[in-house]
Amino acid sequence: MNGQAWLLLLEGAWTTLWLCGIAISIGVVLGLGVALVRMAKIPFVDQILVLYISLARATPLVTFVLFLFLSAPMFGINMNRNTAAIVAMTLNTAAFNAEIWRAAFLSFSRDQREAALACGMTGGVFFRRIMLPQMITSSLPGLVNEMSFLIKGSPAIAVIGIVDLTRVTNRISAVTYEPLPPILCAALLYMLIISVLLKLQAMAEKKANRLAM
Amino acid sequence: MSDSNAALAVSIKRMSKSFGDIEVLRDIDLEVKKGEVVSVLGSSGSGKSTMLRCINWLEVPDRGSIHIAGERIGVNEAAGRKMNNKELATLRAKTGMVFQGFNLWPHLTVIQNVMEAPIYVKGMAKDQARAIAEQLLEKVGMSERKDAYPFTLSGGQKQRVAIARALAMSPEVILFDEPTSALDPERVGEVLQVMKNLSSEGYTMIVVTHEMEFARAVSDQVVFLEKGLIIEKSAPDKFFSNPETERVRKFLELSN
Repeated sequence: MNGQAWLLLLEGAWTTLWLCGIAISIGVVLGLGVALVRMAKIPFVDQILVLYISLARATPLVTFVLFLFLSAPMFGINMNRNTAAIVAMTLNTAAFNAEIWRAAFLSFSRDQREAALACGMTGGVFFRRIMLPQMITSSLPGLVNEMSFLIKGSPAIAVIGIVDLTRVTNRISAVTYEPLPPILCAALLYMLIISVLLKLQAMAEKKANRLAM
Repeated sequence: MSDSNAALAVSIKRMSKSFGDIEVLRDIDLEVKKGEVVSVLGSSGSGKSTMLRCINWLEVPDRGSIHIAGERIGVNEAAGRKMNNKELATLRAKTGMVFQGFNLWPHLTVIQNVMEAPIYVKGMAKDQARAIAEQLLEKVGMSERKDAYPFTLSGGQKQRVAIARALAMSPEVILFDEPTSALDPERVGEVLQVMKNLSSEGYTMIVVTHEMEFARAVSDQVVFLEKGLIIEKSAPDKFFSNPETERVRKFLELSN
C-alpha cells in the first residue's frame, strides 16, 4: 500500500460516503413520509405503499440497482450511474425506515396526545412539538442500524460500474497483485464510518432515558 | 350568547353519550358559575370521567350541548356545522385539564412543559411565557425543580407541574380527572393543598375525585353520578350531612 493506493482508496471511500449520505438523508425523511401516509390509512394508497415496502425489502440491492439502471432508458428516463445508485439505495432504505417510523407511531402514548389537545394544540403542533422529537429519539437506534446496513450493503452499486470503496480495492490489487492489504484497509475505513454512526446512536440512547416515565 | 350564559364558566344541557350499546351518560345537566368549584363523585364506571372528557371534547357526546364561557363547543353555530380541528383547538385552549396519570411531556423540562402551550398555541413571546411559567411553578411549589426532566420527579411533583401547565393558558375552567388517584397516600396531601389554594384564588374547577374531605371542604356544588345519571346535586353541607337519596347515603357510609 503506497501513497497512490491510499489516495485511490480514499477516493472510493468518498464515493461510498456521498452516495450513501444522500440516500440516507432522503431515505430517512421519505420513510417518515411513507409512515405518515400509512397511518392515515387511505384506501388504495395504503395498499400501494404496503406493496412497495414488501417489494423493496425483499429485493436484493444489487438486483434493484441493476434493474433500475437498465430499465430506466426503456421508460425514456436518462439516468446516469450515480443517480441510479442513489435512487435505488434511497428506495431500499426508505422502505425499512418506514417500518421503523411506523413502530414509533404505533407505540406513542395516547395520554400525551390528550394532554396536548386539552391545552389547545392542533394535531399539527402536537406532532411537530411533542411527538416528532420523541419519535426521533426512540427511532434513532433502529435508523442508525439501517444506515450501517446500507453502507455495508453499498458495494452492490459497483455492479453498474461505480468505483466505490470496495470496488477500488480490485483496481489497486490489479496493479500490486496483493489483494489482501487494500481489502483490509477498506475494512478499516468502513469501520471508521460506522463508528461515527454508532457514536450518534449512543448519544441518542442517553437522551432516550429521559423518555422512560 | 346571552348574558346569563356569559356568567357561567360551563353549561351542560341534556348531554348523553353511549359507547356501543352501553349508555354511559344520560341527560346530564350542569351549570358551573365562574369561580365555583364543583366536585363530581360516584363509584367507578358511573360516567364521571367521561362527563369531564366530554366538556373539552376529548370524548364527543352523542346529544346535548356544552357551552364554555358562553361559547358552544363542537358545533359552529354561526356556520351551522361541526367545528373543525382549528376551531376546536381554540375553544379547548380556554379549558385546562389535569389527568390522573399526569401526562407530562417527557422530552421537555418542567418549565418547558409549562411554557409549551402559551408559546405554540397562543403565540406568546418566550420571555413572557417563561415569566408566567416561573410564577406558576412558584405557586405550585416547584420552582426549585424547574429545569428537571419529568422522570426525576415523584408523582405528587409531576401532578403539581401538570397543574401549572393547565394554569398557564389562563383557562376559564380547569378539569381535574381524579388528580390524586395515582398517588401514594403521602403525596395526596401536597396536590390537594395546591388545589385548595387555587379555589381560594377564584379559579373555576370541576373535580372528579374520591377525596371526600376535599369535596366537603372546597366545593360549592357536589354532584353524584350513578349509572350515567346525576342523581344528586347539592351544596356540600347538605350532600354530606343530609343526602336526598338512599344511594348517596350508602356511598358516604362505605367511604367513611
